[in-house]
Amino acid sequence: MSVAGHELHLLTGAYAADAVTGAELAEFEKHLAGCATCAEEVRGLRETAARLGMVTAIAPPPGMKDQVLAAASRTRQLPPSSRKLVALGAPRATRRIRHAVSRPAAVAAMSAMAAAVVVLAVFQVNTRDQLKQAQAGDRAIAAVLAAPDARIEMGTPSVGGTVTAVISRSDSQAVVTTADMPDPGGGKVYQLWVINAVGARSAGLMSGSRVNPPSPVLADDVKPGDWLGITIEPAGGSSRPTTTPVVLLSAHA
Amino acid sequence: MNTPSTSALPDGAGQAEGPGQDLGALLARVARGDHEAFEAIYDQLAGPVYGVARKVLRDPAQSEEVAQEVMLDVWRSASRFDAGRGSAVAWVMTIAHRRAVDRVRAENASVAREQKLAPGPVSGEDVAQLVEMALDRQRVRRCMSSLTTLQAEAIKLAYYGGYTYPQVAGLLGVALGTVKTRVRDGLIRMRDCMEVT
Repeated sequence: MSVAGHELHLLTGAYAADAVTGAELAEFEKHLAGCATCAEEVRGLRETAARLGMVTAIAPPPGMKDQVLAAASRTRQLPPSSRKLVALGAPRATRRIRHAVSRPAAVAAMSAMAAAVVVLAVFQVNTRDQLKQAQAGDRAIAAVLAAPDARIEMGTPSVGGTVTAVISRSDSQAVVTTADMPDPGGGKVYQLWVINAVGARSAGLMSGSRVNPPSPVLADDVKPGDWLGITIEPAGGSSRPTTTPVVLLSAHA
Repeated sequence: MNTPSTSALPDGAGQAEGPGQDLGALLARVARGDHEAFEAIYDQLAGPVYGVARKVLRDPAQSEEVAQEVMLDVWRSASRFDAGRGSAVAWVMTIAHRRAVDRVRAENASVAREQKLAPGPVSGEDVAQLVEMALDRQRVRRCMSSLTTLQAEAIKLAYYGGYTYPQVAGLLGVALGTVKTRVRDGLIRMRDCMEVT
């Protein structure tokens, strides 16, 4: 009996990976119901398996969202299981009516948000070219972040907060973001540099700490052995660093 | 403004929240019929759900079908999610993976499916989310490389390949018991590795 139980216990991993089938699956699930340690182990391994799944994310086909949302609006939901009912009390029976109300409300909210976004975009970017450039930048940033060889470097600036760089060797690019860095004060700015033996090249200004979330900066032509550094510079930035970097991240892969 | 089902929440809580919201709380709202919460869940998890289906099934059309079924399943059975028994992400991804492997097994996985770990393009626009995913991919890669070859192969074939563990044993030419323990040891090592990094 204990031997069989031990044998079954070894199935936790395969079970969490959905690799157990048939009679053995039924047997294991029966065992699981009475084995708290097994259930706890399966719970943890399922979380691990889920993370293996999360990293496979790819953009779903464009039409899928509308189809799913439309299907949901005509699909009745299951009531809580009896186990949960005991804990929560009896369900209310008005679920269907709520659907009819929520769609138009959602659409209205979405349109309002879309309008706000457009206004903001026009306000921030007033020429077509700039808009195009910004979009191209977003795409380049997304490409670096999704690069199969993307590597993360994190640093703690001397002024506080964190800096995260996602570096793709194949693209020779890095995306640098900051979080919780204090305002440099006195109208000064944070400037990002690509630094190597030849010197320091500006990769642009980091947005102020009041922008939330701070927008990322894309650094081009980042080679193995280079460093990414952030300095405090006068408003508008400098052509070369004038202060000691508050943080340095290695870009070598 | 809000739907009656979200009246317990502050005004406007159903809007303007980007990715990164607490999925468990969103699922609770979905269970009450909240379509906005469902849309937020879709935005966060449709990419991974579709990705895992593609990983296991390969065929884009079938993967889309499965991904749609999974998302609809999330809508239908949101009330069955129990935060005490695991995270919302694990709940959804378990549904997704099970449905994908069920589909593979239903139509006989006799065709050898090539195994690759390389992820495709990431969905979503949100940079914070993308950074998080890049970080996760890096962790998974690093932790996977800390396993023995046999552990890593067994896990990839079982999880990404959708093979049963006896099939994995056949593919790797090792005993059933060996695969059983390697998948378990390997996942435990992955779990511990990803916890500390």
